[in-house]
Amino acid sequence: MRTVLLAQLRTHAARLIASTLAVVIAVGFVVATLVLNETSRSTVLNAVGARYVDTAAVVSSSGEPLTGDVDAVESLPSVGAVAAAWETSVQADVPGRTGSQYLAVETVADAPELRWQQLSDGRLPERTGELAVSERARAEVGDVLTISTYDAEGEVTEAQATVTGIVRLEGDPEAGLYGRAFVTEQQVRDWGATDLYELRIAAAPGSSDAQVLADVAAAVTGPDVVVRSGVEQAEHEAAMLTGDSTALTSVLLVFGTVAVVVAGLVIANTFAVLLAQRTRELALLRCVGATAKQVRRSVLGEALATGFVSSAVGVAAGIGLAGLISTLVGSDSAIPLAGLTVPAYTVLAGLLVGTLVTVLAALAPARAATRVAPLAALRPVDPAPLRSRPGLLRLVLGLLMAVPGTALLVLGVVVQSVYVGLPGGVLSFLGIVLLAQRAVPPVVAAAGGLVARIGGVPARLAAGNATRNPRRTAATATALLIGVTLTSAFVVGAASTRATATAGLDAEFPTDVVVQGFSDDLPASLPATLGDVDQVVRTAPVLAADVTGPDGEPVYVHGVDAGTAGAAMRSTDKVLLPGPGQVVVPEWAAEYYSVRDGDPFPLTADGRSLDLVAQVTGENQPLMVDAADLRTLAPEPGLAEVWVMLDDADPDAQVAAVDRVTDVVAEADETARVTGIVTMRDEINEVLDILLLVVTGLLAVAVVIALIGVGNTLALSVVERRQENGLLRALGLTRGQLRGLLAWEAVLVAGVASVLGVVVGGAYGLAGAASVLGEVGDIVLDVPWLQVAAIVVVATLAGLLASVLPARRAARTAPVAAIAAA
Amino acid sequence: MSVPVMTVPGEPPAPVASAAVRAAGLRKTYGSGETAVHALAGVDVAFAAGEFTAIMGPSGSGKSTLMHCLAGLDTASGGEVWLGDTELTRLRDDQLTTLRRRRIGFVFQAFNLLPVLDARENIVLPMQLAGQRPDPAWFDAVIARLGLRERLEHRPHELSGGQQQRVAIARALLARPDVVFADEPTGNLDSRSGAEVLGLLRSSVKETGQTVVMVTHDPVAASYADRVVLLADGRLAGELTDPTAETVLDALRGLGA
Repeated sequence: MRTVLLAQLRTHAARLIASTLAVVIAVGFVVATLVLNETSRSTVLNAVGARYVDTAAVVSSSGEPLTGDVDAVESLPSVGAVAAAWETSVQADVPGRTGSQYLAVETVADAPELRWQQLSDGRLPERTGELAVSERARAEVGDVLTISTYDAEGEVTEAQATVTGIVRLEGDPEAGLYGRAFVTEQQVRDWGATDLYELRIAAAPGSSDAQVLADVAAAVTGPDVVVRSGVEQAEHEAAMLTGDSTALTSVLLVFGTVAVVVAGLVIANTFAVLLAQRTRELALLRCVGATAKQVRRSVLGEALATGFVSSAVGVAAGIGLAGLISTLVGSDSAIPLAGLTVPAYTVLAGLLVGTLVTVLAALAPARAATRVAPLAALRPVDPAPLRSRPGLLRLVLGLLMAVPGTALLVLGVVVQSVYVGLPGGVLSFLGIVLLAQRAVPPVVAAAGGLVARIGGVPARLAAGNATRNPRRTAATATALLIGVTLTSAFVVGAASTRATATAGLDAEFPTDVVVQGFSDDLPASLPATLGDVDQVVRTAPVLAADVTGPDGEPVYVHGVDAGTAGAAMRSTDKVLLPGPGQVVVPEWAAEYYSVRDGDPFPLTADGRSLDLVAQVTGENQPLMVDAADLRTLAPEPGLAEVWVMLDDADPDAQVAAVDRVTDVVAEADETARVTGIVTMRDEINEVLDILLLVVTGLLAVAVVIALIGVGNTLALSVVERRQENGLLRALGLTRGQLRGLLAWEAVLVAGVASVLGVVVGGAYGLAGAASVLGEVGDIVLDVPWLQVAAIVVVATLAGLLASVLPARRAARTAPVAAIAAA
Repeated sequence: MSVPVMTVPGEPPAPVASAAVRAAGLRKTYGSGETAVHALAGVDVAFAAGEFTAIMGPSGSGKSTLMHCLAGLDTASGGEVWLGDTELTRLRDDQLTTLRRRRIGFVFQAFNLLPVLDARENIVLPMQLAGQRPDPAWFDAVIARLGLRERLEHRPHELSGGQQQRVAIARALLARPDVVFADEPTGNLDSRSGAEVLGLLRSSVKETGQTVVMVTHDPVAASYADRVVLLADGRLAGELTDPTAETVLDALRGLGA
């Protein structure tokens, strides 16, 4: 049988292209998603977790400082070295730049084994007066920075420090937010670090990490203290930073699952048609002595070989795709990708999924093949029976899958869980595919009635052909239906993902740039000055004053004009702005003052008083009143913050704009702190764009699969109808009419399939986006109508195009040859 | 016993005023060079209108090829085929196709009917393709003669082999073609159904003057014809008028079949 199997593979290789491509694409998609996820994880782990992965244990506290525990930990016999992670912040003047900038200051460990910083230039600092800075600080080795620190009373102390090295923070999503400085422990404490919240610990020679972990956990206890191993801590930090990217991964994996299921269906379809073609061959094999088992094994062997080869190609394609994306995205983005991390499991998963799906998909056709009676080889070809036998079984099975599957999908949307929605989607889709065999022919018949009226005899024959042989029609339509459903699910899902992500980002980061005074108020002229800066669209001042709260104690209140402030923000979804007569009260303050939403909230100052109404918000924001109200209470409020909106430019230009704002601010008030939130939002946006571009690229491929599938099925049915077409030609159907017949049939079937597919796929896209994104935040559903309409047109034209080659072939066959072949 | 009248190859056929179909120097070659196979090596033959003619010959004698070329189903490599005043060998594919559906009827051995159409639709198909409506009276007459009234709504797979061939004959007769070509019409039938089909072909010739040309290898089938044309190795090998099964068998033996 092996010779037969190999000969089959050689002979029918071309026919297997559709299923091969389907497997390659599905496997490639899954593997690329897994690899990208792993790459992102390991990049972040390397970047954020770099300081932890090589340590034996990490002690962190979210409450009481750990200052007093250092000695106890150091004295443990299993502990080799301890790095106390003191932190503070300073303002730094970099030579050649006009203003000062905010620098977060961290400690460089004394012990070499606890130093994690990677230098792109120079060396780490060894004494006070030296520092290493991150690339974002824009300083060079040898620069002497003027460092300003402020004590609790706001008294400024200036000092000089020399840059000894530049630290690479590649892959750290927050690296672009502000500059960071790395100094000795003595230096960081000199610059004002007062409390210690983290200890990184290395094991003494001869002690195991587990030993250290146990000893430290016993030595340092407290309600807010957590002791983790280095790797655990790294993963913990990385997980906190990559929340967004794992959500995206699950979106992509949903599509990956769909692609695998679709590939399975395309394969099952192709194999069924291929074997139907080979009925006589198989019967002949049985005649010359092959057992049913051998026939089945030969068919499954063919599937196994096809599946394995195409999975291998798919794995390679997936890794290649991931590499391409990784290169495009780079390590400086919000979802950082450096190099490629390809764990063995991704390769194995790809091979296994692809091969298994192919073999499983071929099971039913293989069983059908064993039912071929040996006598079929000898029987003259008789017309295929028109009623498909397993119709009822299909209907029942289809309903049993579609109804609960749809219910589960709806449930998934309602409870916003992709783990409920995904199996529901797969189940209902399989059900719909089964039902399509029954549902498509009547729809085609209805459409055929219309077509027959305008297209003459060939159209009438095509409508007849399309409706009178439901199995063939349904098979062709289902192939395209699958492709179109997938495509529209992608398009609608992607559009909704994009809209949701944009809205979410805008809500999360509503202001582009925030300028905050350190202790004193900002100069009142600053908003106007900043308004003149290139690329600044508008600014909104945030006033502040000390007034007396409802409890008689002093309280610091911000005052904004809702109109001006709202205009300077990208979104006000997560920021509550007060109107006149209102005061925005965050939950902690509401609790403190015992007020509820709508309660009166009186504020007084120097004998003046205002009766305001409390607006309680769950968001973390300061007490805030209308700017005019604040002026009534305190006639000369200070300027606490300026919110700046930049125009929409590319990320690099926006970083430059933030730098210009920083310089201008520094000239006006050197203690002010500038935070360029826009850069973080830009980076996340950029990553989203790339991911969606990739998905859209895959769409094009999905359309190609559908095209190949339709062409394949039509070509096969042309072969199947050789005699029928020959008879028609003999009876007087011209070549043009025969081509027209096939074209009409293709348009009819493709049109119906694509309309149905767009409807079903659109629903899946929306449901998928809703159930996945529901876990992330508020959903914005978006249906790109133009693209959806384009899908219908393209799919119908694709069907027409796919009919061209088979139709030419059918038309070229001499009528007598067709009859003689009987 | 009648003596076969031999025709001399290469000489033009005697002009037959009443010939429905005739061929002159008809050649059909497959392949080229040394491997060329001459299925028809110059055939001159004529079929009179209103006559039932059988073409006979051993396997590979070229009888099916001859019929295909006469019916415009296949193109000749050389020579001429005339259907009445029309020279088929000069027509393009589209013209041939149109001619077939208006002026020629077909009955094949197997796969005569479109499986997706019922009997009535199969019968009117060629006229529909030509954009014509069948004459209802003639349609009723044909259906009645072939005994198909009860079967018109049946699909081919719901009909017996004999019934299928009767539907095919009805289709061939409906357009009142110049000539009906039948290719082994009884090849797949038992002898009783076969006799029935042949009787129907014969009566259509006798009663309505239909011209019928039938290819067969069965001497009994051939005995229903008015005339038998014998073919061997792609050439005419003789002719019998008013044949019986015995005379046909003898003539075939004379060809070495």
